Amino acid sequence: MTTFKRPLRVLLAKLGMDTHTVGVTVIGHALREAGMEVIFTGLKQTPEMVCAAAVQEDVDVVGISTLSAGHTRSLPKLARLLREAGAGDKLLVAGGVIPEEDKPILEQAGVDRIFTMGSDTRDIVAYLESWWAQRLAEDAA
Amino acid sequence: MMQRAADVANRLLAGEVAAGARAIRWLDDRDPRGPEVLAAVYPQTGRAQVVGVTGPPGAGKSTLTDTLVTEWRKRGQRVAVIAVDPSSPFTGGAILGDRVRMSRHALDPGVFIRSLGTRGQAGGLSRSTHDACLVFDAMGYDIILVETVGVGQDEIDVVNLAHTTVIIAVPGLGDEIQAVKAGLMEAGDIFVVNKADRDGYDATHRQMELMLHLRAQTVTDQRWHVPLLRAVAAKGEGADAIVDAIAAHRAWLDGHGDFISRSRMRAREQVLSLVRDALADRAVSISGDAIMHRVETRQLDPYAAAEQIVATLSGKSAAA
Ligand code: B12
Ligand SMILES: Nc1nc2c(ncn2[C@@H]2O[C@H](COP(=O)(O)OP(=O)(O)OP(=O)(O)O)[C@@H](O)[C@H]2O)c(=O)[nH]1
Ligand SMILES: [Mg+2]
Repeated sequence: MTTFKRPLRVLLAKLGMDTHTVGVTVIGHALREAGMEVIFTGLKQTPEMVCAAAVQEDVDVVGISTLSAGHTRSLPKLARLLREAGAGDKLLVAGGVIPEEDKPILEQAGVDRIFTMGSDTRDIVAYLESWWAQRLAEDAA
Repeated sequence: MMQRAADVANRLLAGEVAAGARAIRWLDDRDPRGPEVLAAVYPQTGRAQVVGVTGPPGAGKSTLTDTLVTEWRKRGQRVAVIAVDPSSPFTGGAILGDRVRMSRHALDPGVFIRSLGTRGQAGGLSRSTHDACLVFDAMGYDIILVETVGVGQDEIDVVNLAHTTVIIAVPGLGDEIQAVKAGLMEAGDIFVVNKADRDGYDATHRQMELMLHLRAQTVTDQRWHVPLLRAVAAKGEGADAIVDAIAAHRAWLDGHGDFISRSRMRAREQVLSLVRDALADRAVSISGDAIMHRVETRQLDPYAAAEQIVATLSGKSAAA
């Protein structure tokens, strides 16, 4: 009898010229402490690069940290690319500096959840864990 | 949506990235579909050259890997990279950051990069690393490069996995053999002193040369001349010579029948380690807490306990 263990795998990426790294680092460590496998892509990614990495790494969650605008173009594009790659079932979350008025646009385009400045990392972990528990239950059914 | 092992196996044999990625995930997670996929694709494996890249933390393994991949791509080779980073022994979580240095290959369809956490395995690899190699081999990649965890002493499991082991040393880790520990010296097929732009390069190079000289006197198998190469991975210097050496080693292995014998040794190692894992799992489930309790309370010594468990196991398998 082998133990069947599925830690949550999360890709964390930054798009474009945005060089704010503190938030994504904080999130990475929080998720690691929660027992998740976090894969960093590094800075200056395009939506195409993030999508390719998400497929190769077979992650469950794609997380984008965005603090330098541009997200109303790049995030919808990423969501579309993921769907086209057959990876639309991955959870897509974003955080950083995202004005209230942008949120409906992003959610409409396929971003599942947005965590802006001041979000408690414990809430982020709890959200991902409950999503994952539900996904595992669906898979088992 | 439940995916079937047979579909995934067929799709990965056709080279589909998402299918290969899923197969590796199943094997890494110990999902029972993983071994099913392996069974289906195993006959298609045995062609790829597995290259291990190992060395101390921060030596430039990922940066060098990036430059080697560029060089292989120039030569028309398809490359898979397996980058292993440590999982936390406390939480099981991990930060896998090696691919940050390989970003420029992200959109190249001839390159597949996969990050793995060690998930409790010592030795610098994850227990799924062998499996991931087999998946990439079945997908038709020519080269499978395995970047190990930054190793300290003799965590050199990669030697049992790779056809060719590249060991990276760097200047400035201390003037003793710090640069590369003794266990590593015996293991490598190719040595590289990276960060040759740094102070201390000459000293490190001399020291490595000396150690390789000593090794040549003690190691009986001297047919392969172990090269010592120089690199500045951050500037892409040295990659061509290293790729040449890796190709030369492959040719040498082929010429001496060692490619097959190393492949056989790898297969044997993997089977034995699976047997060990399976037996250990079974031993735990059979022996239960009773025997362990007697050991803890000093009623039974560990050797006697192990013997009892093994006896029970053999009884079980004989009866089955
Ligand atoms: C520190 C900082 C910098 C540092 C960054 C250092 C570094 N290595 O990161 C420096 C000085 C370099 C810098 C530069 C610039 N900055 Co600046 N910077 C900030 C500042 C003050 C704090 C950012 C920060 O680190 N916060 C702390 C972390 C922990 O918070 P966080 O990133 O928001 O993350 C939290 C959540 O958002 C969420 N989260 C974040 N990412 C993710 C990802 C996922 C997956 C999830 C689930 C959650 C999540 O979780 C975290 C925990 O709660 C902000 C102001 C602010 N209040 O945000 C401006 C700010 C982001 N910067 C800004 C600007 C304009 C710039 C510059 C363009 C300034 C200039 N003119 O030169 C440059 C451009 C840099 C670039 N190319 O991107 C603007 C952006 C405006 C906008 N987006 O419309 C801001 C908002 C300041 C402002 N009010 O104008 N900056
Ligand atoms: N000066 C100099 N720095 C280099 C060279 N090669 C790599 N580096 C730097 O060394 C640091 C570590 O490089 P990595 O490639 O991440 O090293 P690594 O061995 O993969 O590290 P781990 O995977 O964490 O063990 C980075 O900052 C690189 O830019 C080099 O040839 N010269
Ligand atoms: Mg590395």
